[in-house]
Amino acid sequence: MWKTNLKIIGIVMGTLALYTIVANSIPQVASEVPEELTFTDEVSTAELVAAGEELYGGAGGCTTCHGTGTRAPNLLTDHAGEGAIGTRCGDRVPGEVCRVYLYNSLVGPAEFVLEGFPPMVFQARTFSDAQLWALVAYMESQGGEVTVTADDIAASADPGQSTAAAATESPAGAAAVASTTTDVAMLLQEQLCLGCHAIDGAGPPLGPSFDGIGGRLTAPEIRAAILEPNAGAAPGYEAMIGVMPTTYGQAFTAAQLEAVVSFLAGRN
Amino acid sequence: MSRVTGQIAPGTALVVAVFVAAVPMPLLAQAAEGTVQMPMYGQFPYGGARFAIWIAAQVHLFFAAFVLGVPMFAVVAEAMGIFGQEPKYDKLAKEFTRLLLVSYSATAIWGAILAFGLITLYPGVWSYLAEIFAPSMWAYVGLFFFESFTLYLYYYGWERWSVGGAKLGHWTLGILLNVWGTAVMFIANSWLTYMMSPPADVTPDTSPAMVQFWSAFANATWMPINIHRVIANIVFGGAIVGGYAAYRFLLADNDDERAHYDWMGYVGNLIAIGALIVLPFAGYYLGREIYEFNQQMGITMMGGFMSWLWIIQAFLIGVLFLAGNYYLWVGMGRIPGATRFQPYTKWMLLVLVVGVIVWATPNTMIADRAELSAMGGSHHPFLGVLGVMSAKNTAVNLMILTTFLSFLLYRRANKRPTVTWARTGTQVQAALFVISAVIVLFYGIYGYFVTAIVRIGFSVYQVLAVLFAIIAVSAIDIRMMRRAESYGAIRWGQMPPRSQYALFILMVTFTWLMGLMGFARSGIRQHWHVWEVMRDTSEFAATPPLGYAAQVISICVLIFLGLVALIFWVGGLAEKPIVTPARKDALMGGEHATAAVAGD
Amino acid sequence: MRLWPSEPFGQTVAILAIAYLLIELGIPYIPPLFGLASAPAPDSVVFQYMLTVLMGVLIWVSDNEERWRAFKRPIQRVLVEEKRKPIRVALLVLVPVLVAFIAFDQARPSLSAPPSFRAIHPAPPGSMTFRDRTIPITGLENPLRHEGRLEAHYEEGKRIYYRNCLVCHGDLLDGQGPYGPAFNPAPLSFQDVGTIQQLTESYVFWRIAKGGAGLPNEGGPWNSAMPAWEEFLTEDEIWTVIIFLYEQADKTPRTWEEVAGSEGGPQ
Repeated sequence: MWKTNLKIIGIVMGTLALYTIVANSIPQVASEVPEELTFTDEVSTAELVAAGEELYGGAGGCTTCHGTGTRAPNLLTDHAGEGAIGTRCGDRVPGEVCRVYLYNSLVGPAEFVLEGFPPMVFQARTFSDAQLWALVAYMESQGGEVTVTADDIAASADPGQSTAAAATESPAGAAAVASTTTDVAMLLQEQLCLGCHAIDGAGPPLGPSFDGIGGRLTAPEIRAAILEPNAGAAPGYEAMIGVMPTTYGQAFTAAQLEAVVSFLAGRN
Repeated sequence: MSRVTGQIAPGTALVVAVFVAAVPMPLLAQAAEGTVQMPMYGQFPYGGARFAIWIAAQVHLFFAAFVLGVPMFAVVAEAMGIFGQEPKYDKLAKEFTRLLLVSYSATAIWGAILAFGLITLYPGVWSYLAEIFAPSMWAYVGLFFFESFTLYLYYYGWERWSVGGAKLGHWTLGILLNVWGTAVMFIANSWLTYMMSPPADVTPDTSPAMVQFWSAFANATWMPINIHRVIANIVFGGAIVGGYAAYRFLLADNDDERAHYDWMGYVGNLIAIGALIVLPFAGYYLGREIYEFNQQMGITMMGGFMSWLWIIQAFLIGVLFLAGNYYLWVGMGRIPGATRFQPYTKWMLLVLVVGVIVWATPNTMIADRAELSAMGGSHHPFLGVLGVMSAKNTAVNLMILTTFLSFLLYRRANKRPTVTWARTGTQVQAALFVISAVIVLFYGIYGYFVTAIVRIGFSVYQVLAVLFAIIAVSAIDIRMMRRAESYGAIRWGQMPPRSQYALFILMVTFTWLMGLMGFARSGIRQHWHVWEVMRDTSEFAATPPLGYAAQVISICVLIFLGLVALIFWVGGLAEKPIVTPARKDALMGGEHATAAVAGD
Repeated sequence: MRLWPSEPFGQTVAILAIAYLLIELGIPYIPPLFGLASAPAPDSVVFQYMLTVLMGVLIWVSDNEERWRAFKRPIQRVLVEEKRKPIRVALLVLVPVLVAFIAFDQARPSLSAPPSFRAIHPAPPGSMTFRDRTIPITGLENPLRHEGRLEAHYEEGKRIYYRNCLVCHGDLLDGQGPYGPAFNPAPLSFQDVGTIQQLTESYVFWRIAKGGAGLPNEGGPWNSAMPAWEEFLTEDEIWTVIIFLYEQADKTPRTWEEVAGSEGGPQ
């Protein structure tokens, strides 16, 4: 009996050893944690500004619109004679100091778009609080005094203790939370699609109406038109090429994009 | 939620655990507001917190899969006993259930270890999930209670309700047992799938109290995981039963016992391999849903740092195919008349070996610098052709077809058809095999000349061709073998021991494979507790390399198999002494329950 | 002397030997006879194949009672028979020596770098920054395919390819440019079924723009000489080169309609 038992143990251990050795014989790669922007309590203004500048020119995607002067107000240079963003940010909303205004307009951009500009497409949820505050600090540094401190980051990281910014309690904060829904009606509102496209016979005629769009375009064409809006235009809307933001590929999650596409493709 | 990564002593963790477990939700909310600082992570003295949780979760899942898979075919076996008037199936079903009974408490114990592990080592994650899923956790406990009670009734009532309507009632209990068990699993699946694929409107800022319960519960990957796990549980249950039968066969001291356990091992193996053939479809569905939910996650799984995992998986599946066929071929030795088919096995073996070679050929090869420069990159100019999906799908479909052929020959070994059209029937069957193999090969080769989209469609045709051949050939075979002459009954029990070792290899491989796939599913979350919602900020946030994972999986498998051996041994203790006729009479007098434990 | 042994044991040895020759020599030298490119298989692959063949042979000798007994007979003879004592003694010496040699060979310090694990086509990021502009990679298609004349883009791409890429990737797009052989790993061949044909154009765009240095860790960024072309080419120029690559190599890019990579199974 013990002979059999030992044989069984041998077979089991041998098989396990074989698999373990095979798995160990290939070169080993671990998936490291991507570096996260973390600031200590003693983060210096310069550090925040530097991190913000990197984001502004890089992953933040800000320069796509800000700086061209047509899609969005210039931030680093003068806009409408009011100076760079750091000089003018304090006067935008009564009672909101510069950094609070900037933070709120990042988290809930829909509330703060200046007249005459298309909606701002910025997905605050893909950025950490540290990153958002770094952006704010960088913008403040453009002609103004940087007032962002580590306390701001800590405060907004913990919704329970909002002190300075009060951002998460504002309606803008609520909008940021909801902005990942796949409810199409909500998405069309949020992403301000209805700012240009008419639906159910109502709405501004800046872009082609959504009514009957499923009859005119197939789902892949609709998807392409959302992701690459400037590749072409519907008949009669050639003049509007370049107006629709090209950032929807980023603004929508895959699920959201598909929800919108299938909703539109169904409207024939 | 506070993100304090406190380094705390195990003692403190325990206090916190009791605290977390005991305080009602409003207090927890208060804690989050800063009156009490909640630590995010606890510490485990050996190997770290992740190691401890990994072991606890994996061993719990092994037991859970076993106790969920076995009742499914126990009920089927009982039905075959009732409706087919075959008492040996009823005996088999009862034996399955006895294994279930003894494994059940181990499942619960490891579940408790996992829960306490989570509370002490990952209190932050735990309280987050608990706040969202509190109602389902209560439902879980309730269902678990019903499941336990139904199991006890089902097992201990076996003899009492063994005839007539009572037997049907007893069978209904078995079905009910499956319903409770599956419901329990579905609930637990919602927690872990939520961690993989939280609803899109949940963000890092969403407080858990605000998350809608149903959208979190029925999240994107919930149903695919449910289906995948139900099938995998059957496979796993079959494999463990096969291993158990092999063990009892090897230690059996008389021919009756050997015959019984030989047959039981055959049934277990058949269930495992049969359900395994369906599993890839469920896996495909799950993979698709993962891609739909998040492309990044999908690519990490298939092409990113996990791509080597699939080579290991291919290797293991190759072992499964070879060992499964080997068992059938050796088994032909105990079937009168099987010698006519034995010359074919070497050709089937050839197909399988070539299939395994192609199936496991890596696309990116491991090579040193000299070899790399000879190949002109880590992509081999000739073998690279075998590294793409067209070749692999072709290989695996042909392997499935070959395995089915093995099974068919095994089934027919001792039969001589008497129907007039037997010759034509066999020719049609052969033609079906050839046609489906040609279709598989054609699309495999043609796949190199078309775009990826078209190629993906081809794999569907290949699978359909194989499935069609399997169904059509089986249908013909069933009709053809009616009233077939027999060369003699299968000599159950006359099986060389090496076939039983093949069953052990199958069992170990299935178990290990399950651990590996568990690592894949959990690892694709990478450094997130809840994907893109709750970040893992512990020291173990990085996803470990495959080698480390393999070691942990091996440890889990060893713990599991060790415990299973112990439990089955204990289960065997209860049955042996009582069976002796001398004591049987004495016992039958009063201790009804003890006699029931005896088994037969 | 019979060439094919009649005993299972001898047959086993013969099968293993033939399999080894086929894998070690057949793979590099047989395909060229039919005009196909080939190269020696790396040791890791040879080992893997031989392990599979060994499992197959063991199954073959043991799946039938008679053959299994016949297979074991010579082994038992060597172990017990008096007249085979010299073989027994020789084995007793040779086997430990062989094991010792393998152990020595494994542990011996060598100058060659350890084998590298390099995913040639690692997972791309969801989006990338191109000269301060964020470009989504997921779902992105070549904009030039819907814009202007394809022939014009092709000609432009050809011009850019010949000016920049030719020296490494070669004028047959086979990675055999004049500088190609100097690199290890060699520049990729676009003629290969495993390269651009398996990829979306956005992926190729990402690789061209970011070059070797932009590879994630599993791609071994330290191991590629590919420059980051975003420094030298504009977005449109890269797109035209991509059009040229696919047209010239007669390949079609993977498209986004289907969920990429959902074919399942090992890559």
